[in-house]
Order: sequence, then C-alpha cells, then structure tokens
Amino acid sequence: MTQMTSAGKPAQPSGFRQWVLQPKVQKWLVIISFSLIPLILLFVFTYLPFGKMIQFSLFDRSYTKVRGFVGLKNYARIFTKKEYFGAMLLSLYYMGGALVQLVLALLFATMLSFKTKGGNFFKGAMFFPYLINGIAIGFIFKFFFTRGYVLDTLLGAIGFNKENLPYWLRDQSINNISLVGTSVWKHMGQNMVMFIGAIMSVDATLYEAAQIDGANRWQQFKYIILPSIKTIVVLNVILSITGSLSAFEPPYVIMGGGASGTATYFIKMHQTAHVDQKVGMACAMAVILMIIIIIATLLQKLIFKYVIKDGTDSKAKKPRGGVY
Amino acid sequence: MAAKKKNDAYVSMTAGQRASWLAVGFVKYFMLALFSFIALVPIVSCVLVALKTDEEYALTPVMQAPANWLNFSNFKTVWVDGEMGRAFLTSFAVVIVVVACSVLIGSMLAFVLNRFTFPGNNLIRSLFLFATLIPGIAMQVTVYQIMSSLNLINSLVGYIILQCGTDVISIYIFIQYFENLPIDLDESAILDGCTYFGVFFKILFPLLQPAMVTVMILKGIGVYNEYYNANLYLQDKTRYATISTALYSFTGPFGNRYNVISAGVILTLLPMLIIFITCQRFIYSGLAAGAVKG
Amino acid sequence: MKKFLSLFIVLSLCAVLCASALAELPAYKDLKLGEDYTDLTASVKVLNHRTDLKDTKIPQYIAEFTAMYPNITVEYDVMTDYAEESLTRLSGGSNWGSIMGIPAIDKDELPTYFIPFGTEEEMLEIYNFADQWAWDGLSYGVPSTGNAQGIVYNKKVFADAGITELPKTPDEFLAALQAIKDNTDAIPLYTNYAAGWTMGAWDAYIGGSATGDATYCNQVLPHAKDPFSDNGKGYGPYYVYKILYDAAANHLIEDDYTTTDWEGCKGMINQGQIGCMVLGSWAFSQMVEAGPNGDDIGYMSFPITVEGKQYASAGADYSYAINKDISEDEQIAAMLYVKYLTEQSGFAYSEGGIPIDKNGEYPALYAAFDGIEFVPDAPALPGEETLLSDLNSDSELRFNNGGDAKVQEIIEHGFNGTKSFDDIMADWNARWSDAQDYIGVEVNE
Repeated sequence: MTQMTSAGKPAQPSGFRQWVLQPKVQKWLVIISFSLIPLILLFVFTYLPFGKMIQFSLFDRSYTKVRGFVGLKNYARIFTKKEYFGAMLLSLYYMGGALVQLVLALLFATMLSFKTKGGNFFKGAMFFPYLINGIAIGFIFKFFFTRGYVLDTLLGAIGFNKENLPYWLRDQSINNISLVGTSVWKHMGQNMVMFIGAIMSVDATLYEAAQIDGANRWQQFKYIILPSIKTIVVLNVILSITGSLSAFEPPYVIMGGGASGTATYFIKMHQTAHVDQKVGMACAMAVILMIIIIIATLLQKLIFKYVIKDGTDSKAKKPRGGVY
Repeated sequence: MAAKKKNDAYVSMTAGQRASWLAVGFVKYFMLALFSFIALVPIVSCVLVALKTDEEYALTPVMQAPANWLNFSNFKTVWVDGEMGRAFLTSFAVVIVVVACSVLIGSMLAFVLNRFTFPGNNLIRSLFLFATLIPGIAMQVTVYQIMSSLNLINSLVGYIILQCGTDVISIYIFIQYFENLPIDLDESAILDGCTYFGVFFKILFPLLQPAMVTVMILKGIGVYNEYYNANLYLQDKTRYATISTALYSFTGPFGNRYNVISAGVILTLLPMLIIFITCQRFIYSGLAAGAVKG
Repeated sequence: MKKFLSLFIVLSLCAVLCASALAELPAYKDLKLGEDYTDLTASVKVLNHRTDLKDTKIPQYIAEFTAMYPNITVEYDVMTDYAEESLTRLSGGSNWGSIMGIPAIDKDELPTYFIPFGTEEEMLEIYNFADQWAWDGLSYGVPSTGNAQGIVYNKKVFADAGITELPKTPDEFLAALQAIKDNTDAIPLYTNYAAGWTMGAWDAYIGGSATGDATYCNQVLPHAKDPFSDNGKGYGPYYVYKILYDAAANHLIEDDYTTTDWEGCKGMINQGQIGCMVLGSWAFSQMVEAGPNGDDIGYMSFPITVEGKQYASAGADYSYAINKDISEDEQIAAMLYVKYLTEQSGFAYSEGGIPIDKNGEYPALYAAFDGIEFVPDAPALPGEETLLSDLNSDSELRFNNGGDAKVQEIIEHGFNGTKSFDDIMADWNARWSDAQDYIGVEVNE
C-alpha cells in the first residue's frame, strides 16, 4: 500500500516542479489558494449565520437554552406589539433626516463645485464630522443638547428666551429629531463629498457651453448636474433606508440605550438578543429587517432599469470573467 | 481669459441682474458659513470645556473660554485613568492588520475572478453579490453564537477576523480596477517566465496602489471608529479596549463630568484630524470611488 | 472475548470513578482560609460592577488575600453596564473568567454555567440568603452582601422642609416631597432615570415592602389575576409604582431626567441638593462617603403600611458564582477568594449590607428599620422554579429581572401626562394575563 502511494507521486523534485508549473495545475493552485480564505469568511460570517438566523427565528430560545418551537409567533409579535413595531416606525424619523441630509448635501455640493472662495475650508469643515468616532459624537451631542448647555447657550445668544426652549432630549415630541440631527450632522458631509465627486466627473466643457448659452445656475443644475448624478442620488436614497433601520450610536450613547422612546429597530434588536436573551425573537426581527432591505434593493434595481436608463447603459460593463 | 469673460458678463449686466448676482453670492456664502459653523461648533465647545478645571466647569457658562488655555489636566486624567494610551495601541494594531488583510484578500480574489475563466467563477460572483443583500447587522445575533462556538470571543484575533469578514466593497473596487489593467501586462510577464503567482505579486499588485488607497481609507476609517463589535467581542475591557470602547466606558466613572469626557473625545479625534489634514485629497477621492460601487 | 470485554468495562469504570474522585472539589464550607491550599498556584478573575471601588477597596482586598495566598493572582474586570454585559459574556462562551455576580438568568441554567458551593441546607447554615440562587437542592451563589429595601434620604433637607416625622404611607411621602419642593432648593426625589438599572430597582419593593408577604414574588405573583390593579387597601404593587408616577406627574423629580448622572448623584445628595432616592440599603454607605456631609444621610423604610405594620423586602445583592469550565485549581482558588470576600474582607459590613456570614454584624443604618420586619422572598414552589422567569420573558415586564424600561415609562407618562397611571397598570395586567394564558398557568382569583 504505502509503496504504491509513494510511487504514484512524482519521483523527483524536478518532476514535481514541472507538474506544478503546468499552466492548468498552476491555474487551479492560484484559484484555490486565492479564493479559499474569502470563501471561508463568506461562508462563516454570512451564509452560516444567515441560515441559523432563519432557523432560530422559529424558536423561543436564548443563546444557550431552547424553550421550544414556536413557528411564526415571533413574527406575529413584531407586527402586533407596539414595542417592536414602534421601533420600526421610528426609522421614519431617520428616513426623513436622510432626505434632509441629501438635499443639503446636494445643495452644498453644487455650490462648492462652482468656484468658491475658501471652498476647501467649507468642504473640509462640513466633511470632518464624518470621520469622528460614533461614541465621541454621542458624548459631544449629549453635552450639546443637555439643558442649559451648548445649544441653549447659542440660542440664548441670538435672542431666544432660555426658559421657553424645549428640553431637547426629554421632550418626546422632539427628542428623536434631536437625535436624527446628530446623524445628519455626521453624514451630510460624506454625501456631499460623494456628490462633488460625481459632479466633477461631468465634462467641464458642458458648463462652459451652458454659460455661453446664458444658462443660469438653476438651469445648469437641472440640465447638467442632476442628470449626471441621478444614479448616485437614487443609490443614496435607498441606502438611507438601511441606515435608518440600523441607526445605533446616537440613541445608544445619548439616551442611555434608547430610553424615552428613542430605541431604534437595531437597538431594540440588540437588546432583545443580549439583554432579554430572546434570541429567537431577535432573529425574527433580523429576518424582517433583511426582507425590507431586499425589497429596497430590488426597488433600486427597478428604478435603475426603467427610470434611469441613460446612466447605466453607458457605464455598464460586462463582467469580464476570465482572460486566461 | 475666462476671468475676463466673466468680468465682461458682469459689466454687461443691468443693475437688477447685478443685484441678484450679488444676492445669490451672499446667500451662498452665508449658507456655507452657517453650516460650517454648525459643523464645527459642537467640536469647538468640547475643546473649550476640555480645558476647564472641575471648579471652572461647574461655575462658568459652558461656552465661556477657559481661564487657562494650557490646562491639560483633563487630558492627563483620561490618559491615565481612562487608559487611553493602551486603547490607542490596540486600535492602531487592529486597523493596520485588518487593512492589510483586507487589501490582500480582496485583491487576490479580485485577481482570480477577473483573470481566470473557470467553472464556479460566476457562482462565486453571485454568492458575493447576494451577500450584499444580507445586511451585516441583521446577522449580529447569530454571528455572536458562531463566534462563541469558535471560541473567538475575547480574542483580538477573533475580532480582527470578524472585521476582515465579508468585505464585498473592497472586492468590487479591486475587480473594477483590474478591468482597467491591460492583459498585455500579464501576457508579457508570462512570456518572460513568470508564474501566475508571479504575475500577481510582482506585476499587478504594485499597480493596484490607487485602489489600495481607496480600500485602506474606507476600511481604515470604519475599523478605527468601530464600536459595536469591539464592545461585543472584546469583552475584557481592561485587556482589549479599543478607543471606542475605552471612550464609552467613560459613561460610568466620569458620569456627566464633560470637561473630562470632552478631553477623551478630543484625544480620539486627533489622529483622524491629522490624517484628514494630511491626506484630504485621497480621502475625498477614495470616498467618491467607494460610493459608486457601494 | 466476553471476559475481556467485561474486564475492560470494569477497569474503565474504575478509571472513571478514580478520576471523578480525584476531580472532586473540596467542600466549600470546610475550607479554612489561610490554612488550606496556601501553596496553590492559580489565577482568579472577577467580573464586578463596582466601578467606584476599582481603585480603592478592590486593591486592598487583593493585597490582603494575596498575603495569605501569595501564588494566587487576583484580577478584576469592572464594568459599568454590568447587568447587560455579564449576560452577554455568559452567553458568549466559557472563557469569561472565574467569579461573576449572577446576572438575570433562569435558575435551571445555573448548572450550565456554574459549580455548586454545596447543598442548599448546608450553605444556609453558614450564610444568609444562600438559597437565592439554588437549583435542585444545590446552592450556586454566595451573596456578596444583603440588602433591605428602603429609601436613602438627606436628613437636613427633610428638616429644612419642615418634615418632622418620616412618611409611612404613599400620601405622606408625596406630601413630604411636595414640602421639599416648596421649602427648599433640593430635588425632592432623584430617580436616576438615565442609568436604567436604578429604575428596575423599584421592582424590589413590590414583594415584602408592599405586601409583607414573603411568598408574594415567587408564589403569589405568577398565579395572581390582575396583580397590578388598585386593590383599594393602600398596599400592594400598584402603590409602589403609583408613588413614582405621582412624583413624576407633580414634577417632584429631577427636571431633565434624561441626562441624570449616577456617579454625580452621590455627591448631590451628600451636599443637600437631593431630598431622597429609592435605593436599597447598599446605597447608604456610598452616599455617606461621597462628600463631607455624611452625617446628613439617613435611611428610612419604604412608605407603605400593611394593615398598620411596615415591612421591608430583604434579599441578596449580586451573588458570586464560579465558572464551571475552568481548571480545578482555578475553581479552588476562586472558592477561597469568595470565602475571603464573604468572611474576612468586611465588604458586606462596610457597604452597609445585611451580613451574609451568620456571625456578621449589622451596620448602624439598620437602626432605621427598628420595628420593621425584614421579609426575604420565599423560593418558588417545587415544580414552578422557572415559572416567574417564563412569565417575565413572555410578558416582557421582567420584574426584578432587568425590567428597567417599563419603570422608565412610568416616569415618562407621569411627567408628560401622556398616559394615566391606571392605563399603564391595565396594560401590565393585560400583558401578565396574556403570558399566563400562553404558558398555561393556573390563575387564582
């Protein structure tokens, strides 16, 4: 037995070398060695948890203890109990914020893509918040919104009566708006930079031609800038849905884990799993989150396909799978 | 020439047109200044308060300038009591390793997918494409369970592996970049006797620099500021605190002492500020490039 | 062949028995501190919630212990969000450390994570409250200290407000809070809303303090029909939460409750900026030590009178438990350290706790409970050990089990007038009876 195996192997190292250097063998060696790690990671951190997530969502269980199979009860609960459903509705605030953020980003991107004195400073100042740590932002804005602190001082300085100002974090009709504000504060600059990038990629001669034709700024925006960045705008609108459902750090840090009706869907999910130890329930929440995101993505594909044909057609490249 | 044209246009305007031109300009600069102010004020307020002593913080209005601009005692407090030094080391180490791994893993897979035809190529592409539909945060619950059964909780290695994870965006950035690298490069290298490994490591990898910078920036910023997983998986905060978790732990002992907390905030923000000022251009172009494929 | 096989079985059985005999841990109650295992080399890692003691008492304890056991190293991992963090760590696998304060888990999960210290009976002989974390006749937790549930208050503030006699009923208490608001600058009742766990702490009063009935929490509540309704008697769970609601509704609590600061409140009550806080007796010593006016801090019982008599819920604080999946040496070292903390460190006494060691002394603050009967919760009836936690989990009310959010909502609704107290209680009743239905609990009218 043993002899046969060793005989089956190339007898001399040079033979082995030759075997390895064969293009076909080499090709497969490269393919396997280069894609093994990413595929393992993909399996372990995406598909395995994905399968488990769907399985767990049908059980009443904690991490370590299974109480029993409950079928779709967890799902029914999410849509009937206001603690869960309310968290989902809360995302509407964040979506509204995302819309404001996009409009502002578009506005400033347009402004800054024209010649502007100190443009670099403005761009940098508005962009920098994006680089700040989420926890740090939480602290910054807890300080900012606390009664009598930064925001109240500033508003006082421009003539508001401090006594009549609302409690930015306590008042449940506005505290979510305050929190959404911090999220807009952080992400607006990033959107702006992306839009500026898209605007800059437009052929500069178009603007010159437009100017010579006497187009005003609004016309330039409407007929040159907007068409060229439609794709990225739609993309961002849809990304904002995911972002809205997964807002985490501002309510987590500022409101001590989402008190006073500020627990977003993701915070609620985290607490359901790790505080309440209802892992099955949390998985059901995750499945619903995923379905929403898949719908949003399909929507995006449809919009790209039927509404914005021009943008994709010209840029679309066939995946060039395979050269050798 | 262009300036002259503009001047001509300006001169040829009627008074009314001129007024509206000026008004638009005024509104523009006013808006820019206002929003830059809004963007900076929360940060500046932290700087002001971080330089105040406890007593000063308790007695003076929050937006008043500190009595001594060189009072760094709060910074010392957070550095020593908050153990920020160690947290910085951990965070930097994690960022460097994760970024290096991501670049390597992403570019290698992109090379295989872009340069080779083989059964399974399209399958792998679709697997990764479908993965983008499944949001990472949705799976945090079961990922935790998997990490726990792999014994990767409370381990720096585990956290790093998780952060490398399924990084579809960088794979896409690299694939996109490979598409623009001519095949002639590979072919001539092979004629010179290069193996496929050689083609990748000697010829193509060095040419990937711009794509690498993009991936490094996107990934680096993300990992440096990451809190959720660091908190969940690096549980022993005395050993494995990253800057995010170290900063968050201020909520307990420092309570509402914002002069101390703000000093911590400013410290975590400094490296980013330095990187931003020095690599502004790369960050902007990296983000724009990442966004198109994101 | 058969012979061989049976011989083999016998031999392997022997081996197993011997091995298990070797693996037998020493009996906890027989361990003698400073005499047994003094040359043991091991490390102990303790998960703990006392961030305030991190640089003060904890190093002293470690130093004192390692003087007896020089080869044992003790390390603490102290965290702020203990209730949440400890649960997360427990569910994350076995390498969390050696000793932790048992978080809100189900009792039937105790053997999954921890080793027993001994039988329930033998542990109760040496320690108070040792049955708090018992399962199947074995005791898995040694209480760190014991608490009586009352209210920590500032005597000077109460005197300045003109309160001469301590309130004994909800109405008297609210009148006292109103007097503090009218006559002093202090915040009458500081809720510590933002900290979260300080809110769930209100649940501790619904048993003994509110009913005088030791069986209330574990035996009566699970079977009770509409336990949160107004029974018209002036005592019971309804009145506990009503105090909080009314205080919030009359704005007798802190103004911007969303930004409260737990560490900061200690100094505030010490300096007379706070009238009182509803916290267990463990809080007393912390408030005393938080500033120069320790003498002003007092402790009183919860203002509910049951048929003319006052009671106080009493029970264990966090109980130490030892990881089941660490080496035997580490387990022994952990046992020794638990024993040291309980019997020699003086922790329970210095923290103003009810002694755990049967020989321990009561600190002076318990004079406040003169004439008031301590009521520790009686354990659940046999066969119903997990009933309360099942109900808690299904109803999501989580009494004494991390149900902070529901108490926070009482403040929100009270303060903002968004929902009446009776509506909140009706909602709780509905959730409770839904859970009872789902689990199939027999409900007593």
